[in-house]
Amino acid sequence: MLNALWKTFRSTRVGRSIFRVGLPESNFERAQVAISSFFLHFQPAKVNRRALKFRTTLGLGLISLYLFLILTGTGVLLMFYYVPATDYAYQNMKDLEFVVTAGQVLRNMHRWAAHLMVLFVALHMCRAFYTAAYKPPREFNWVIGVGLFLLTLGLSFTGYLLPWDQLAYWAITVGTSIAGYAPVVGQKLKFLFLGGHVVGESALIRFYVLHVIVLPLAAVLLIGVHLWRVRKDGGLARPDEPVATREDLAVAQLPQTKSYGLMELARGTTPVVGIDPQEEVFTWPNLVFREILLFMATMTVVLVLAIFWNAPLEEIANPVHPPNPAKAPWYFLGLQELVAYSAFWGGVVVPGLLVTALIALPYLDRKRRGVGVWFSGERRVAITIFSLCLSAAIVLTVIGTVFRGPNWAFQLPWKPATPVAEEH
Amino acid sequence: MNPIPEPKLPRRSFVVLSLGWCSALFATAASMAAAARFLVPNVLYEPERRFKALKPEDYPEGSTFMPNLRVFLFHKGNTFRAASAVCTHLGCTVNLAGDGFHCPCHGSVFDKRGAVVSGPAPSSLAWFEITLSRDGHLVIDTAQAVKADKYLVV
Repeated sequence: MLNALWKTFRSTRVGRSIFRVGLPESNFERAQVAISSFFLHFQPAKVNRRALKFRTTLGLGLISLYLFLILTGTGVLLMFYYVPATDYAYQNMKDLEFVVTAGQVLRNMHRWAAHLMVLFVALHMCRAFYTAAYKPPREFNWVIGVGLFLLTLGLSFTGYLLPWDQLAYWAITVGTSIAGYAPVVGQKLKFLFLGGHVVGESALIRFYVLHVIVLPLAAVLLIGVHLWRVRKDGGLARPDEPVATREDLAVAQLPQTKSYGLMELARGTTPVVGIDPQEEVFTWPNLVFREILLFMATMTVVLVLAIFWNAPLEEIANPVHPPNPAKAPWYFLGLQELVAYSAFWGGVVVPGLLVTALIALPYLDRKRRGVGVWFSGERRVAITIFSLCLSAAIVLTVIGTVFRGPNWAFQLPWKPATPVAEEH
Repeated sequence: MNPIPEPKLPRRSFVVLSLGWCSALFATAASMAAAARFLVPNVLYEPERRFKALKPEDYPEGSTFMPNLRVFLFHKGNTFRAASAVCTHLGCTVNLAGDGFHCPCHGSVFDKRGAVVSGPAPSSLAWFEITLSRDGHLVIDTAQAVKADKYLVV
């Protein structure tokens, strides 16, 4: 029935003008559909069989992309009700919660997808590291990935201020003060971010503009380049194939009747035609349908989280009374834990060094070893160093999240300390 | 007599090219500089840093917290002192706890003179100048820091 409807639509002039290739029936059409569609042409007509296996990438990059799409959709909807002014912002959040139909669940989805995106971009980065996907020729794509990670954090941080509640206000006060510790330009940078000396009206509008247009546009651009380079570098990183010799090519069984043409020449580790064609499968339907399935799974998880767990909204921002303890978003709590020892070393030097090390990584560790293999034994040193840094980050984040109570004093999560009596 | 060699780049092209490049670069640089300067506000809509408070006798003995200024006012006998409630670490508001100040954000502890006892704060809390206006009101100027042992006698 649906198929018949689709066929009728495709037979009209309009239908043909929109969908140049119908639902593919031959291999030729399967290639055509991937090449001629704007939305599918980021992928080659055929992909390596490895790309279909879930354990190759665990779908982490794709999930990050889907979360970004969900965030864009829900974010644009939220913008219809949100006014970035200190007099209205908090009231708008309350309206979204109690007045606007589906306002609460949309806001929850936005919040959950934002948290998940930080998590999945970080996991995706770990996957790229542990499978050595940053080795030549993919060095620069790793750097773009680091840029996207920082953009994700920036998007999340700028969005954090917008509800204008206590949580938002104090997280941003603390966060921007860390920027103030940067040498020489620190205080100027802080002034520029806030548009003043304190978190106020001009800080809110600045964060809003960064959150809804500047950073998302930058992210879209970098995501585009990131995906494009994955394709141009020969798809997902995989172990080197045996180099085809002239003899191999001579004896290779080429198909008698060609149903393909030369689509493009790509540099690097592209499959050698004629050597191992059974390792390549058509993108449509094999990959595309798996991608759609993953999108539906991501959407379902976000929706379920949003329906059952509400995004927090504390009292309206009060510049006088910081909550005790005042905590940054969870992904910055490792940083806050470091900052509790020293603002300069913990807030500027350590993160600065970490980002520099991440960017420099593919240029320092260049040997093509263990590419496309999880935890390759040939990369013991690199894996050990990375895992140590990762564990340190996780331990610090956990300490900052659950082991810190009032006055940032150490506490056991199952035995919370009693709040210190305040006196003014 | 050697013939004068023909210059590789004719004079006319050189002038046109250098003028073109210079003006293009200048225009780009000027636009960037203007855009950067544009982002630095000239007028700030923030609380006044110099604040006219009530008359001395309106404040009870002990400490009073002034939320808008983020200042603790201490009244002891006929003396007045004003301490900043802004933690020097990352700008949280400190609480008066027992004999000193506690920062709830990262656990800095200050003694009653505002000096750092423990925690990550890099310097002691500031004390502000208090003056008496002509009509007998206290005036606190949070732009004027003074030493911790300086106080106003009324």
